[in-house]
Formats: sequence, structure tokens, C-alpha cells
Amino acid sequence: MSTAITLNQSDIPAEVSAKRPSQWRQKTGQKLQQILWALVLPLLVLGLWQITSAHEWVSPQILPPPSLVWQTLTELWQSGDLTSNLQISVERVAYGFGVGTVVGLLLGALMGLSKTVEAYLFPTFKALSQIPALGWIPLLIMVVGIGESMKILVIAKAALVPVTVNTLQGIRNIPPQFAEVAKVYRFNTRQLLAKVVIPAALPSLFTGIRYGLTHAWLALVTVELLASSEGIGFLMVWGRQLFQLDLVLATVVIIGAVGLLIDQSLQWLETHFLKWRRVAF
Amino acid sequence: MSALGTLDFKNVKKQYHVKGETLDVLDGINLHIKPGEFVSIVGSSGCGKSTLLRLAIGLDDDYQGDILLDGARIKGTSLKRGIVFQEHRLFPWLTVEQNVGLALENSTLSSNERAKTIAEHLELVGLKGFEKAYPYQLSGGMSQRVAIARGLVNRPEILLLDEPFGALDALTRANLQNELQRIWQTEGITMILVTHDVEEAVLLGDRVVIMEPRPGRIKRTVEVDVPHPRQRADLRLAAIKDDVLSEFGHEHDTALQPAAEGFGFKDYLFAW
Repeated sequence: MSTAITLNQSDIPAEVSAKRPSQWRQKTGQKLQQILWALVLPLLVLGLWQITSAHEWVSPQILPPPSLVWQTLTELWQSGDLTSNLQISVERVAYGFGVGTVVGLLLGALMGLSKTVEAYLFPTFKALSQIPALGWIPLLIMVVGIGESMKILVIAKAALVPVTVNTLQGIRNIPPQFAEVAKVYRFNTRQLLAKVVIPAALPSLFTGIRYGLTHAWLALVTVELLASSEGIGFLMVWGRQLFQLDLVLATVVIIGAVGLLIDQSLQWLETHFLKWRRVAF
Repeated sequence: MSALGTLDFKNVKKQYHVKGETLDVLDGINLHIKPGEFVSIVGSSGCGKSTLLRLAIGLDDDYQGDILLDGARIKGTSLKRGIVFQEHRLFPWLTVEQNVGLALENSTLSSNERAKTIAEHLELVGLKGFEKAYPYQLSGGMSQRVAIARGLVNRPEILLLDEPFGALDALTRANLQNELQRIWQTEGITMILVTHDVEEAVLLGDRVVIMEPRPGRIKRTVEVDVPHPRQRADLRLAAIKDDVLSEFGHEHDTALQPAAEGFGFKDYLFAW
């Protein structure tokens, strides 16, 4: 055996070498195909809806035709009602989600790093987290009033639960083998946190934040439906009270679209920040 | 220059306490390892050979007797003692060079010197050009090369190897055994290799320490008086291998085969 070392060609995994353009094209094609598959069901529902309203199987007052809902959407956009209400809603989510995420990360990290803290807090946390946003609203109205702080608290709680649970799990699931490596190289607490705990728990933190934002958006709609005079949820209640089902359906479309947009953008961020997680291509 | 890297085990005894019962894992271990020596430790599963390394690296302080490095009783982990685990234990979120750099987190080197020594050690293990690769892009053998570079980069006095090639395929393993022999000769540091592969133990070791289980004891020590670099096909090695295998008697058919090292309850307890 010679002392010079040469790696066999087979020793070098294919993905290290540059991707060929044909591979790239294949991947884009696959992605496009996925989007097409995802659109099949919504398009079928839209078709059924169109046929139903065209034949007036259901009264147009109860199920307005797609064209009317589209018209309402454009009117909402042109009058500025959509933008102003959406802006209020987004601000509420941003505040509530921000507070919930910060508290959730701290709470989850504390419980994850200390069994004692977990023993003290986790059962209570678990019990309180079972109560849905709806259950908190009457109590919170009595304590902090019906203003913005109540809404932000409800949204914050909704975001807090998944963020806390996933942070806790993420830290708990770090393989003890990694901690041993840190011990062998005599890492201090700061190094252990910065070099091992945070990066190892990051995928789980991301999952928590993603769920947190989705839950925050859902809680927003609930809280605005029940106790608000502005915002996208209020627009929906307003439509229902006026028996303008086109307005209700238009807000349903907007809420769904924004929710999807939020989730997709976070997923995109996740794949970009956690490139090392790609196990195989 | 006074040679550093002398490791002494003096009457080392280790017990585990499981459900109120006391299990003797190691008993009466006495072993003197000279600076720059390569010592192989072989034994069937559950003979406490990996436990012995865990004590020597300092991940477990709960034992009786003394383990001395250059005359001083070891306490906790130390940058003077490096280890390569059976699994590579690379951090998947770090590149190859960052993983090797982990070992230098607490070194006194300047960042320039660090970069230089990392590059040198990656070259030593034959991974020049893979500095920026992530662990998911590496094969098992390449990952273990990175782990060896990480174990060596802070220039420990002694490197402990805990079945480092146990999970690799036969060809990669043979290749890395030759590499390790070359690296040991280049670096000149003390190495202790724990393995269940007798051929590997004999090929690499100046001495082969044979352990027997329940409780883990040293059964016999065999000198391998063949100069390095050694050829795998050397007849003298084959004779010594047969000698070592004879110590396992009828056992060697089953207990020494890697495939027979199933993951029973005991393996979880005593492995790493």
C-alpha cells in the first residue's frame, strides 16, 4: 500500500460534483407537476360551485356564484376596505405572534435545559394549553377589556403553545452523543449552547414557529369574529350580519390564501436556512 | 525530550448498579502503555473494552483504582486525550472543516494557525478538497476520516479509538486501517484501539491486549514484534492472529464475528 492517498472515484458522492442542467430541469419539472396536482381539487370544487349556481340548485342568496364573489373581492380591493382591514389583522398577528414566540422560545428552552423547571411548569402548561382560544376570550375581556391587548394576548397564547412544545422537544431530542463530543473538547456552557444546543434544536424550533404562526392566524380570525369592529374576521361577521354571503366567501378566500402564503414562506425560509438537513437528493 | 503520552491503568475496577444489583464490568485492570505505542484491545461484546476507553477519555469518573496520564490521575475530559467514536459523531450542521475545528474551540491557537492546522489534518486523512462539504455529502468512510482528523487536530498526547471502523464495509475498513497505520507513524502519538476484529488488532498494534468478560479482565497480552509499516499478508501476522484467536477457543466462531455483535440489552449498557 503506497503512502500517497488517492480517493477512489466511487468514494466521492455524486452530489458533491456540480449538478448537471438536465437534472435541474428534471427537478423544476417535478415541482411544476406537484403544483398541478395540488390544483386539481380546488379546481374541481370551483367547477362544482359554478355548475351548482348556474343551475340554481341552491338559492343564490345562500350560495352566490363564483363570479359575484370575484366581483366582491375586486370591489373590496378597489375601495381599500380589503387593504385597511387586512393591515389591521396582520398587525395584530405580528404583535401577538412576536410576543408568543419570544415567550414560547424562552419557556421551551428553560424547560428543555432543566428537568427541574420542566417538572414545575410542564403539567400546568399542558393543562392550560388544552383550553382553546375561544375559552380565554370571555375571561380576558373581564380582565383586560375588549381592546387590542385582549386580542394580542389570545393570539400570543395560540402561538406560544406550539413554539414552547417544539422548542422543548427539540432540545430534549438532541443526541447525548453530541453532548459527549462537546464534553471531550471541554466546551463551556456558552459554547455548548451556541455550538450544539441551538443548531441541533433549530429544525424543531422552525417547526414550532411555523405552527405558531399558523395558529396565530387562526386565533386572529376567531378573536375578530367574536370581539372586533375591524379586521378581516370582522369583515366576515359583517357579511354574515348583512346576509351578504358573497362577502363572507370573499373573506374565506382571503383568509385561506394569506394562511397558505404564511406557511409557504416559512417553509421556504426553513429549507434555505437548514440546508444541511437535506439528507439525500 | 521527555516523552509524553504514558498511560497507566492501576487496579481499575468499574461497577454498574442496575435495579439494585451490582454488575462488575471491569476488575483488576493493570496496563502500562508507553509513549508512542500502539495498543490494540480485543474482546467479545460485553467484556468492558469500550467502558475502559470511556474511563480513559474521562466521560465516566465513577471507578475505583487509578488511571494516570504521564503520572497524573486523569480527571474529567482533557484536550490531552482525543477520541474517535464508533459512529463518526460529526455535527450535521457544520462543514467538514468546521467539524474538525470543534476540537480547537478551546485551543490557544490564533485563527490563522487554526485554519492552517485544520487544512494540514484534512490533508493527512486524505480529504483535501472536501473542506466545505457537509456530512450528508460524505460516505461512511469519509465521515470517519473527518472524525480521525478531529481527534488529531489539537495534537493530543494520546488518541483513543473506540471501534472506529466497526460500521464500515470491508474494503473501506481495510483502506482506513492502512491510513491509520500511516497516520500513527507520521504523528508518533500513543494510540489505543478497541476492536472486535482480531486481524485489525494484530495488523495495527505493537501489543494486543485480550480481554475476557464477566467481569472484564485482561486475559493475556500478545506482543506483535513485526516492524511497521506492515503488510496485511505478512505470514508472521497470520501466526499471531491465530495465536490470539486461540484465546477465544470455541467462542471465536460466534462472539468475534462482527455480525454476531447484536444489540442486546447489555450492549446498550456497555457500548460507548
